[in-house]
Amino acid sequence: MPAKDYAPIDQNWLEEAGSLWTTPWVDTPSERVIVDPIILSHAASLFRKNAGYFYQNPDEAVRMVCAACELYDVTPVGHYLYADYWGMDYGAEIKMQTNSPPGITKRPIKTPEDVDNFEVLDTDELVKGPTLTTHYKALDTVKDEYPNMFAPITQLGGTMEVATNWAAIEDVFMWMITEPEVVDKLCTKAGDHMVNACRATAERYGANVMITGSVIASGDLMDREQIKRFSYNPVSRAVRKVLNEGAGPGVYYHLCGNHTDDFEMWKDAPMSPFSIVQIGYDGQDIFPTSKLVEHFGDRCTCFGTVDTKLVDRGTPAQVYEQAKEQVLAGKDSPRGFILGTACECPTNAPPVNVHALVKAAKDFGKYEKF
Amino acid sequence: MDIKITEELDNLLKDNGIKKEEIQEIIDNAESNGSKLEAIDGDLCIAKGCTDNLTMYAVYSPSELVDVYAHKMSILGLTGGELHDVEYDDSSDWKCVKCDEIALERNVDMTYMGVTRPGPGLVCPKCNEFYVSDGVAKTLKTAESILEEKRA
Repeated sequence: MPAKDYAPIDQNWLEEAGSLWTTPWVDTPSERVIVDPIILSHAASLFRKNAGYFYQNPDEAVRMVCAACELYDVTPVGHYLYADYWGMDYGAEIKMQTNSPPGITKRPIKTPEDVDNFEVLDTDELVKGPTLTTHYKALDTVKDEYPNMFAPITQLGGTMEVATNWAAIEDVFMWMITEPEVVDKLCTKAGDHMVNACRATAERYGANVMITGSVIASGDLMDREQIKRFSYNPVSRAVRKVLNEGAGPGVYYHLCGNHTDDFEMWKDAPMSPFSIVQIGYDGQDIFPTSKLVEHFGDRCTCFGTVDTKLVDRGTPAQVYEQAKEQVLAGKDSPRGFILGTACECPTNAPPVNVHALVKAAKDFGKYEKF
Repeated sequence: MDIKITEELDNLLKDNGIKKEEIQEIIDNAESNGSKLEAIDGDLCIAKGCTDNLTMYAVYSPSELVDVYAHKMSILGLTGGELHDVEYDDSSDWKCVKCDEIALERNVDMTYMGVTRPGPGLVCPKCNEFYVSDGVAKTLKTAESILEEKRA
């Protein structure tokens, strides 16, 4: 759908939502906690489109996201991203899928020798590559058509996520056991790539919010020492370098999956004045916001979560109840709080469940600290 | 210590509203009391000076001024309180001349316009003197602009 077919965003809503969105970052008083359900291809389902359509049409995708933000009354930011970024720039093949985000089918690194010979692209090369070309098409659309909903993000994931977009996950995990130094090299190169990608966005838009963290490197697949070696350390190095090169100021640590054993080390990860930490799960359970605030509340903005499985397959009452518990525990966190989902809002999540999440924030997320 | 200032840096000083004399004083103080960082593999030094609302840094070699930068955010101390062990290599490329200690890369709390948040700093583990790099100062400048816009 071209831009003219979208209803204009209600400017009164946008002003109010912008105010709610600003509070967690700069402590300006507002009424209540903002909700960010990480809406991506879910927006397409509201337009009777599928995930494949969403990802193949980045300009339309962000229009749909912006409209969904207003519909649900959530964070007014137009996003576009998917997990399998950065493969195609280095020769990977990607498959567009009807009902899920694009997936890499063929990766450029197959052997340890390939890791040695692998060269990270510089900033100029990345800007011309398929990932940023598409990503910037989405961001430019937001900037032009929805300037007050624009945030210049760079989707990175952590070093293990980038590494497994370059080499098959089964190979990387095998090397982790048989030749861990190969994975060290791979993750170092992934970190260098992350720095170059952030620099590209910062140069283009004057600022950059890096989405990093640890997704594959979670307690379900790796032990604490492996997470530390292949994720925490190289990610920390990369973030520090990004901030030392002036390519910030936003840092979003997205710790998806189970982080029971490693979450504490992330307390010392490099942070900027606009840092946020989101942790998905504590074992099999949603990560308690009380625990998140206890450990991170005096450091950065906290992103409390509701189980995405619940948002996808639970009842509105279940979503509402968990959201209530999380928002009550986090709303007055000293350096700001956002309520959201543990990961991206599932494409076909029932809209009533997203509504229940927002309703809980409206009913129980009123600030007391101002 | 007389420092040569190139025309380019002179213009940078003017753009940032910093006087040559202020920079010279910062360097002189650092040279006299040793409160400065020195590059581990080179002859560059970083000295800093604070006014009520600005922290200024001079990067200099024995003969000339190499860079100047500043930030408005005021450093309060280490994020999370006291210095403790971290699980990454936090050694920087700089050492504190006064203490002969490698400066550590740690999060430090910074405050501006009533907002306190962390940022990446360089910290001497002995005297607890804090510095930021030129790149971080650029990041802080962006952060300060956002705070000025949103807190106005």
